[in-house]
Amino acid sequence: MNKKIVKVGYGDVEKIKIGGQNPLVFVGGPCAIENRDHALFMAGAIKKICDKLKIQWIYKSCYDKDCRSSPKSFHGVGIEKGLEILSEVRRLYKVPVVSDFSDPSWADLTGEVCDLVQVPAYLCRQTSILRAAARTNKPILLKKGQFMSPWNMKNSCRKLESFGNEKIILTERGTFMGYNMLVNDMTSFPIMASTGYPVCYDATHSIQLPTSMGNISGGQREFIPYLVRSAVANGINLLFMEVHDNPAKALSDSNTVLDLKYLENILYQAKKLHQIRIEILNKLGDDNVHPTNP
Amino acid sequence: MTVNDVMIPFGDFPVVSKKMILKEALTEMDMANLGLVCIINDKKELIGIITDGDLRRKLLKVQKPFSSFLVDDVLIHSKRDPVTCSSNDDLKYVVEKMGRIQIWDLPVLDNEKKLIGLLHLHPAVKKLLE
Repeated sequence: MNKKIVKVGYGDVEKIKIGGQNPLVFVGGPCAIENRDHALFMAGAIKKICDKLKIQWIYKSCYDKDCRSSPKSFHGVGIEKGLEILSEVRRLYKVPVVSDFSDPSWADLTGEVCDLVQVPAYLCRQTSILRAAARTNKPILLKKGQFMSPWNMKNSCRKLESFGNEKIILTERGTFMGYNMLVNDMTSFPIMASTGYPVCYDATHSIQLPTSMGNISGGQREFIPYLVRSAVANGINLLFMEVHDNPAKALSDSNTVLDLKYLENILYQAKKLHQIRIEILNKLGDDNVHPTNP
Repeated sequence: MTVNDVMIPFGDFPVVSKKMILKEALTEMDMANLGLVCIINDKKELIGIITDGDLRRKLLKVQKPFSSFLVDDVLIHSKRDPVTCSSNDDLKYVVEKMGRIQIWDLPVLDNEKKLIGLLHLHPAVKKLLE
């Protein structure tokens, strides 16, 4: 259903096309940049798996975690150091990188370094953030707020378009069901894809139980493979998962990050299912069952 | 007597761009107190219309949540090939045609298919009865 292709990657990193019938792309890395050595180690480890499976990927890690529940939680290494580390990841591994930004004044620097800029879910309708993201002229990974209906994400797209940026990827990351609980509505993918933009599934945030552990979030990681299979079969273009080599010691989202040892397993399944999905699409065409707007 | 003598000029009836959502189109219709909105492209060419009747039929057919319906692009719920007329057309002939096909409003296009006006049935009939 989505026809627009978003191209990610500038300079000498790998160029990636997202959307349409292009292969499934993976976005992953530790939730937060913890330090240089860890970031490089994780990038190397993920690259090895993606190379083996022949999956194009984008390294994701954030320099500032502005939405922590507790003031004592790790807040990040900061924009200057963080972007320096992301630049090194780009340079060494020739992989595109993405970080989010939570303050409009951080957008320009983030866009100078990152191949893709991420708008956090909680801020997905903030005009000042969207204006700043659009101004970077980089592709934008727009998270769907946990409080947003999929159809209302069109309003955020229209804001970005009005600011001159039409390189948008819409990301599902779970929807609040009451307090401290998220559910995934699989109809959100075709609804968001009807904007024409590629759609992404954030599997590790979707299994989050927001702030369920008092002052931090819990999660149900055991459901990651089930939800990934459902989302990929549904027709997503991009799969997002935060990954860590030692989740118990992760400085951010330790209850939701995927253990690195399971990454190959999940990506293998995702790639296979995406190929089947494309085969079905080529055989039967777009779904057109009981169309409401024939 | 021609359509030009009685048509509502462009700017005085509801017109929206194809990027607008249904809610915005309804607001335009409501403000003008007319049962129709015209949708145009960047060249001012008419690309669709929505009437009160179209909306009634859609509401009965489209069973998605109302908030979702309102955020749909106006164009997807529009009639893409509406009946139109020219400003030089004979008014009596056009009014009779509107009666035959039972419509209250008729978009008026120029030679380049650009929207220049709207013929509303009530003032047209009033003019003919004068």
